[in-house]
Amino acid sequence: MDNAAIAKGIREAAKKLLGEGKVDVVIGYAKGTVPMRDYPYFAYTPEEAENLTWSGFCCNNLALYAIRRPGRMAVVAQGCVSRNLVGLVNENQVKRENLYVIGVNSPGMVDRRKVQALFPGQTITEVEEVGDELIVKGVGFAEKVARKKVMRQNCYTCVQRNPVISDELIGGEGPASHGGNLDKVAAPWEKLGSSERWAEFQESFKDCIRCYACRDACPLCYCHVCFVDESQPQWCGKTQDEADVATFHLLRAFHCAGRCTDCGACESACPAGIKMRRLTMKIEKDIRDLYGYQPGMAIGAQPPMTLFKPNDPQDFIK
Amino acid sequence: MSENAEFQPRIAAFLCNWCSYGAADLAGVSRLQYPPNIHVIRIPCTGRMSPKFILSAFRKGVDGVWVSG
Amino acid sequence: MFARRRFAVLKNLLEYAGLEPGRLHFSWISSAEAQKFQQTVTEVTEAVKALGPATRMIKDIRKVA
Ligand code: SF4
Ligand code: SF4
Repeated sequence: MDNAAIAKGIREAAKKLLGEGKVDVVIGYAKGTVPMRDYPYFAYTPEEAENLTWSGFCCNNLALYAIRRPGRMAVVAQGCVSRNLVGLVNENQVKRENLYVIGVNSPGMVDRRKVQALFPGQTITEVEEVGDELIVKGVGFAEKVARKKVMRQNCYTCVQRNPVISDELIGGEGPASHGGNLDKVAAPWEKLGSSERWAEFQESFKDCIRCYACRDACPLCYCHVCFVDESQPQWCGKTQDEADVATFHLLRAFHCAGRCTDCGACESACPAGIKMRRLTMKIEKDIRDLYGYQPGMAIGAQPPMTLFKPNDPQDFIK
Repeated sequence: MSENAEFQPRIAAFLCNWCSYGAADLAGVSRLQYPPNIHVIRIPCTGRMSPKFILSAFRKGVDGVWVSG
Repeated sequence: MFARRRFAVLKNLLEYAGLEPGRLHFSWISSAEAQKFQQTVTEVTEAVKALGPATRMIKDIRKVA
């Protein structure tokens, strides 16, 4: 099924759910006011459900809005979003019985920066999706671009495009992966020496303006008070100084350990184009290697950082 | 410090009250000699240890961190 | 024991990001092991000494000004 047909299916499902009063809200995506930026949308009435859409530009992770939300809700979920929902159910932040999952196979989301990079200096006014191709339109041009060429980096290595849980599946199941091998790309700095790693790390994060959009977009970051906002003691300064930026990113990544589903919402949200998945990917690779765990794959699974086994590796301890 | 004095690192040592802190005590009582570079911070249990403490120590300029349970 | 998983992941992450191996140490020492304590302090100090003064991760007010 193509995206337009899926969008129609989502609207119909939403109208039915809201009309029958089964849920209070349907959380989905609506078409953005600028191209390639479809945004999270909350439909409370069947009329509002008309605005719901589905496309290759749904880069936000909707699981975020389910956290500790009162009442019954339906959430449009592709693979990664459903994995985060599972994680939230396991972490007691969402009640499964209050949640209705409208599942969708993800086509692989488009990285708008990559599309823009193909048309330097030109203003893109519209992008249409036709099957596996995008038609990029601007003043005086309209060109075809293959989706495979401009997908977000995390989508190439996705292993779970189908939702893990769904109460209704729109458009049926599709392929599970895009064929990339996550383990191969997850930790590129491993072959570097320590100083080179530090240089790469500094280089990757030097443009961070500490806006916390990455944190706010992430469905794992639900603490009432985030460590960056704590002032007594202040763990992390608020400047763009390298130590502050490094502290923020290392700790944020660490807090996602064993929970990050590589949904890419953080990178998509960043106004500075920072690739913070470079840290989370490495952690998740370690967790897979050390504890054999992948986040969000099953309801009832115990998060690995809340568990231990007597024979966990400990050769780093004297 | 004179130019050729040997570099003396500052090391933050987070010691568990019940294990390593006790060991440090015993080392003292037994008059065992050990390098004076560690600055001991007693924690109630190694489980109290947070990555924040480690990064905090590095931010404040220690040359090494040692966590012992 | 939960701490062990935490430390494993943290040490890997910090070293992945370029903290020199040898700046961060972990050990288990029981309160009866004064010998091991003495030995470990010495080892840790030697390792850090060998690396020289720390330059990474430090918040230096003078640099920010
Ligand atoms: S850290 Fe980024 S990739 Fe991981 S779950 Fe959060 S938003 Fe998604
Ligand atoms: S969204 Fe980007 S610029 Fe903002 S805090 Fe995160 S990494 Fe830094």
